[in-house]
Amino acid sequence: MQTNRPAELGDDELVALAQRGEREAFELLVERYKQKAYRIAFNFTHDREEAKDLSQEAFLRAFIHLKGFNLRASFYTWFYRILVNLCLDYRRRRGRIAWQPLDDKAEKAANGSEMTGATSSPDRDAMAEEIWRKVGLALDALPSKQRTAFILRNHQGLSITEIANVMRTAEGTVKAHLHRAVVALRQRLEEVLE
Amino acid sequence: MKRQTVCEDWEKDLILYYYGDCSVEEQERVETHLKGCPSCSSFLTDLRTLLPLTVESEEPPQAFWESYSREMRKKLGEVKQSGAWWKGFPGFLHPWPVPAMATALILLLAVTLTFSKGWWRSQNLPPEEEVLLEILPMAENLEFFRAMDFLDSMDFLEALEGQRIRSETNKQVL
Repeated sequence: MQTNRPAELGDDELVALAQRGEREAFELLVERYKQKAYRIAFNFTHDREEAKDLSQEAFLRAFIHLKGFNLRASFYTWFYRILVNLCLDYRRRRGRIAWQPLDDKAEKAANGSEMTGATSSPDRDAMAEEIWRKVGLALDALPSKQRTAFILRNHQGLSITEIANVMRTAEGTVKAHLHRAVVALRQRLEEVLE
Repeated sequence: MKRQTVCEDWEKDLILYYYGDCSVEEQERVETHLKGCPSCSSFLTDLRTLLPLTVESEEPPQAFWESYSREMRKKLGEVKQSGAWWKGFPGFLHPWPVPAMATALILLLAVTLTFSKGWWRSQNLPPEEEVLLEILPMAENLEFFRAMDFLDSMDFLEALEGQRIRSETNKQVL
């Protein structure tokens, strides 16, 4: 008889076990998706604690409604949908977000700004901070559907088909949202490119 | 400095090309266009510079993930415990019991009202008053019947008058 260790089981098998009441199976799904879930939430909130709370809330909601989940769909698409909706709700409640660069982000932005010719470290840090603030504001100014499509494609690397499933829309619509988001970002961040 | 304007028809394809979301044929088509179009090549360079800058590389420490998993296990445990009492409740709200219960309630109400009507009356009123109560609505209609009788009499008199005039006219003719 073939016996698989739970960690080796696929999502569908873990979901089926969790639907039969095995909480440990769901905990394995949490372990599998917690980092991705957290990063998506962080992209929307830009706050470590809020991202943790939102992603955990998404797991809890998925667990509560798991019996209603249809195994013909993929678990992570269904779960991402719950998470993205929670993040959008959060954004509606909170409004605009204060974009403060974290240390590693400032460094990353500084690397990007090397082309501007900044050499001294304090100048570079200030410039990196400024770039990051502009990037944040430009992202924040995008309509929610464009921002969702952009974050899921650009930050999370989901395919157009996966994004269409998460957003419950047509692939053509996702492409249109992505197109508008990129064009708007390029326009708003023109000075960063110079 | 104003940036070069990208060919409008190619803008969407170039974005999909950047993300690798186009077919091999489309990819070849875009590459052929790029060879002869400096503005579209510049647009693609902009995307390659700008879009990676927008990605937030948030990497919390290992301790964060350990605490995350611990909290999650605790919350899941609480959901299961607190979920025990209400888990059966949604089943009660399935589509079929609600109309069935409403129908049963209406039937019960109808039966109760039908059978209790006579019972309450016989319990509270003496038989002579009960007869009075039945006659009362008829008495209220008495005025109406009287008016009807009066109208009938008027018709009868008019008919007699008409007959009289006709016979007098016939006599005169003869």
